[in-house]
This record gives sequence, structure tokens and C-alpha cells, in this order.
Amino acid sequence: MEILDELSRDALRRLIATGRRADGRDMYSYRDIGIQKNPVPNAEGSALVSLGKTQILVGVKFDIAKPFADKPDEGVLSTGAELVPLASGTFETGPPREEAIELARVVDRGIRSSNTIDLKSFYIDKEKVLGIYVDIWVLDFDGNFFDAAGLAAMAALKSARMPKVEDGKIIRSESAGKLKLTSDVVTCTFAKADTSFLLDPSFDEEKGMDGRITIATTPEHVCAIQKGGWGAFTQKDIMSLVDISFAKGKELRSLLQ
Amino acid sequence: MSNIIVPGQMVADKPLKMGYAYVENGKTYATVMSLLTDDHKLIPLCGPYEPLAGDGIVGFVSEIKFSGYSINIRTPAAAYLSSRDCRDKLALGDVLAATIRLVDEVKSLELEDAKILRDGTLVQIGPAKIPRVIGKKNSMINIIKEKTGCEIYAGRNGYAWVSSQGNSDLAIRTLRKIEHEAHISGLTNRVSDFLASAGKQ
Amino acid sequence: MEKPQLIIDGKRLDGREMEDLRPVKITAHVLNDANGSAYVEWGKNKILAGVYGPRECIPRHDQSLIRAVVRARYNMAPFCSLEEHGRSGPSRRSVELSKVISEVFENVIISEAYPKTQIQIFIEVLQSDGGTRCAAVTAAAVALADAGIPMRDLVCAVAVGKADGQLVLDCSKEEDNYGESDMPVAIAPRNGEILLFQMDGLLTRDEIDTGLTMVQRAAEKISAMQAAALQQVYERKTAPKLEM
Repeated sequence: MEILDELSRDALRRLIATGRRADGRDMYSYRDIGIQKNPVPNAEGSALVSLGKTQILVGVKFDIAKPFADKPDEGVLSTGAELVPLASGTFETGPPREEAIELARVVDRGIRSSNTIDLKSFYIDKEKVLGIYVDIWVLDFDGNFFDAAGLAAMAALKSARMPKVEDGKIIRSESAGKLKLTSDVVTCTFAKADTSFLLDPSFDEEKGMDGRITIATTPEHVCAIQKGGWGAFTQKDIMSLVDISFAKGKELRSLLQ
Repeated sequence: MSNIIVPGQMVADKPLKMGYAYVENGKTYATVMSLLTDDHKLIPLCGPYEPLAGDGIVGFVSEIKFSGYSINIRTPAAAYLSSRDCRDKLALGDVLAATIRLVDEVKSLELEDAKILRDGTLVQIGPAKIPRVIGKKNSMINIIKEKTGCEIYAGRNGYAWVSSQGNSDLAIRTLRKIEHEAHISGLTNRVSDFLASAGKQ
Repeated sequence: MEKPQLIIDGKRLDGREMEDLRPVKITAHVLNDANGSAYVEWGKNKILAGVYGPRECIPRHDQSLIRAVVRARYNMAPFCSLEEHGRSGPSRRSVELSKVISEVFENVIISEAYPKTQIQIFIEVLQSDGGTRCAAVTAAAVALADAGIPMRDLVCAVAVGKADGQLVLDCSKEEDNYGESDMPVAIAPRNGEILLFQMDGLLTRDEIDTGLTMVQRAAEKISAMQAAALQQVYERKTAPKLEM
């Protein structure tokens, strides 16, 4: 369907040149955002986020894990993502493709760098720590899985209950209170088309873009960045997108409350 | 809405020869989600495009072959257009309107009367909704053309093409509205109102 | 763990009578990109099904010149169970279930209409609570109808089991784990034909006969819910959205 992408690209360029987007949004607006908390109570935490027609479910599970050799006193954070084939005619079955791995790693970096989870508090003994598993399940895809997954991951973490640990074993029927988080990480993704930037690109816009940049922030800091696609960005571009990310981050964080 | 029929539902207690249905033990059952009309026809509400000879379609060139072109018309396999059946010389990605000349038993498709469509946007619409986009004797599509000043081709296969000339934004939004509300009665009036109020803004 | 008593004072642990279904909620057309989709909550099971096709069959040596190839993929999310974090990728169990579910729908889809193509049914178990394969078949049938795939019938499925010596419809997780037998069945409700039939544990000949009759009765209820879910799609004006 490469040719169809080229046709989308032409249509996008023509529209952007007139300062408009196909769905009537302005350049720095999100599509409608919906957050359902704890839709999968079997998991210790979960959230379903819709961003326009993109729908992503994140589940959080705890397990007993082995500590990493270089961090013997810390718990283990592991983030996975699957582009579930029912989400898009362009997704395939089989092992995770590079897009899924990139998605998981970008979301992971935001959570990890922000230190929002105190992994030291997950220490049990020399052999055992708590592992926290964040799984991103993309269920319906219409562009920008980074921001939807970031939001769903944060909402799922905020809904998560710590399981009780006794004698190095997890007792799932008993809760040890909510998972403590020190700050809310949110991500903003921009598509670049010619010299314009569009926040929260739809799939059609992604097909027509030259490049993409994802910026994860806490209220004070930038905590992860990922540039993707062929296009290039200037230093000035990036600084202005960082400023917009902080401003938009406030909006996203208010949705998480 | 009891006239909405689901697959396997009995639509007649006698054997009837009708589309989207089958007969078993002397009774007739539907095979797809459909509307049952008063004159006992099933009109499908969703589903893939079922190509028929004579259908007007819209597609694009997906491959250039020795003596013709492969045309993507949203069917599982591309349709074939011989260069003899097309006045223009086509390039990869060119959008065109054409007629289906032939459908064989393994659903291979041949096209004819191709006309190249330049400078416009290709829009995907559920093939089951295209009859509503076109309207009775082209009534619906003519309203949209008139109010937006766009040239529009709605292919039976579920691709529509809207020219850049005219208010193409409004034309595409109108097509989406029809697609979403195709099954709700009073569609023509709602579309006219939608175009009138958008025109005022 | 020790086997708990499953039937107390003539009632099952969750308060059901022997032939009651758990609460079932079916919603059709919840996804935007898939050609058809459905979401089923069945007890605590939460199952999403999406259908693509008929589309080009890849790899080509799998395609048939006579009919569409029907392929189901049953998959469990790693967070779906109450116990530990699951491993991703297909297990032997999910491969087997994918196969038997594909075969259910090969029977009812009018696949001769689409030679050289494939019809893909993707099933995601988002939360599991015993009886996922039956809920999955029920969801997949609705997703296929929502995709406009021509079918001879709208299939549904439910299990019958034996707990504390009694036949029980629609086994809960506990009845599944500690009961004497489990027998999942998928049927074409129009003519009662059985399209998926598995069984483990021990049952007598008469128990199988009675169990199948219980399934036939329940199938009428489930298929009415499936039809209602599909008809409701055409009363909505909003874009498809998953409400969990």
C-alpha cells in the first residue's frame, strides 16, 4: 500500500499548505481523549485510553523477579508492547516488530528516567525483588501510539495496587496499598511535514509526514526524547517543541487526576 | 428496528431466489447483516465490495505491466486494465475512474473506459454505503457537487475521488457524514441542512 | 490447593442455578480500523475480536482457488490472569485453540465466494475467567457478521461441566479447575449442528446427552444477545469505541 501512502502524502501537503488539518483541528491540538481506569481488575493496574480513533489498553502486573547484577538492591521494571493485529490492517502477526519495540522502549525510558517509581522499595532480599511489568496492547490504531500509550501507562500505574509480599511470595488477594509515584510523565508527539509541525498526528498524517519527534516530560524536566523518520529538525524547532510539550503536558496531566 | 436481519435469520418460510440469502429445507435464510425491504430484497448494511460487470469504480495504478496496468480497487487482487482500453498513458499512483468489463469465476477483474482523475483526493468509504452516497438517480452526489463546487466520483468499490477545485474539505466531511448515517432515515434532508449551515459559516 | 465444595445448598459458588449463564454483555463494532469487531464480557472474561478480509492470501502457497482461507488467532494478553504475568507469544494451548476456532468458522462462512483470499479472525483475551474459548467463539461470530462476511449462521458457544456430581452450565473458573469435567461446545443455533466439541474429565454417556441439550437451550439465549448487539450498531451515530 506504499502507493496509497504517497497519495496521502500529496493530499496532506496540499492541506497543510493552507494551514488546515483534515479533521478541522489546529496544529497543536489533541484529538478527543478518553481514559477508563482499571478496566482489567485481574491485573494490579490497568487503563484504556482513546485518542481519537486510536485505542490502547495497558495492564500492569507484579511478580517476583531476580535483581539485575548491576542493580542488586532495586526492583525490575519491564515494559512490553504489542501491535495487536486486530488494531490495523497494516499490523502483522508474529514476533514484535521494530515499531513495537521502539514504542515499548520510549514509554519505558520516560517512566524510568523520571524515577517516578521508587524501584529501591521493591527490594525483598538478595535473591528476590519485585518486578513490575507494564504491557502496552494497541487495540485500534489511527496514529500516534506514543502519546496514547504513554498516557495509558501512566493511568494504569496510577491505578495500580501493590500486592502483599510475605516470605518472598506474592499474596495477590491482599493489597499493600497503592503504588507510590512521585510525578506524572506525559509525552507529546509531533509530526513534521515540510516546515509545519502537527501535534498528535493521525495515521493519515503519519503516512504523509517527513519525521516525528516524541518528547516526554515531568512538570520540571524533559525525561525522554525520540526522533523518528527521515526528516531533520533544527535546534530552534526542537526548543520550540519542548516549550509546547511542557504547556501541553499540563493539559494531559490534568486528565490523569 | 426489526427489519435489520442477521446472518442465519429466516427471511421467508418458502424457497426464494434472492441475493445475500440461501435456501435450505424449503426455507430462505439471510447470509449477511442486511435490511429486508417490503418487496423481499436484502440490502447489505456492511461488507466487502462484490464486483459486477458494468460497475463504475475508482482506483489507482499499483503496477505497470507489459501491455497494461494493475489497478487497486480495494478488492483482494488488483484489477487489470489493458493499455488499449485507456487513452491516457498512466503512471504509478495515477487515480482513475473506470468500468468493470468482466469478472471471471476466480474473481479476476478487467476494466475498460478508464478516465484519469488529476489533482484531487482519494477517500475510502464502506462499499455498502456507496449507493447512499450516489443516491437515487445520482440525487445525493449531485447535491454535494452543486453545494461544494467539487467534481466527485464515487466508485462502487468504496473509493471516492474529490477534486481539489471547490470546497473539497466540506465535500469530504459530507461523504463521511453519509457513511456514518447511511442507515438512518431522512438522510437527504440532513445532508442538505449540513451543507447549508456549513456554507453560511 | 484443596478442592473446595462447589455446590452448597443446591446453589453454585457464585449463586447461580445449575443451568444459569454468568452475566453476558455483547457489543458489536467497537474498533475503527478492523472490517468487523466485537467485545464480549462474560462473567469476568473480557474478550475482543476483530476481523480482516477477505483480503489477499499471503503466503501464496496457502491460498485456495476454490475458497477463502479462514484463519483465527487466539491470543492471551500477559496481564489477563489473576495470577502471574504471562509470557508473550503463542503457547501450545493458544495454537490448538486457534486451530479449532478456525475450523468452526470454516463450516459456516460462505468461503466459496472469495477464492484466493483469506479471512482473518483475531481474538484477544484481555481478562480471563474460565470459559475464554466459548466467549471467544461468540465474539468472533459477531465480529464476522459486523464485517459483512456471508455466513450460513451466527455461531455461539458455551461449556457444560460437572461439579460435585452435577451437570452445570457455563463453568466458572473454580468449577473448571476443581470440577470433574469440562465440555466446551460451539453450535450453529439455526439447526443445532455442533461445530466445536471438546471434553476432558469423566462423563457418562447420558451426561453427555443431557449436557448437549443444556447447551442447545443456552445457545438460543446467547444467539438472541448476539443478534441484538449487531442490530444496535445501526442505532448508533458515534464512532466505534470500546467501553470496558
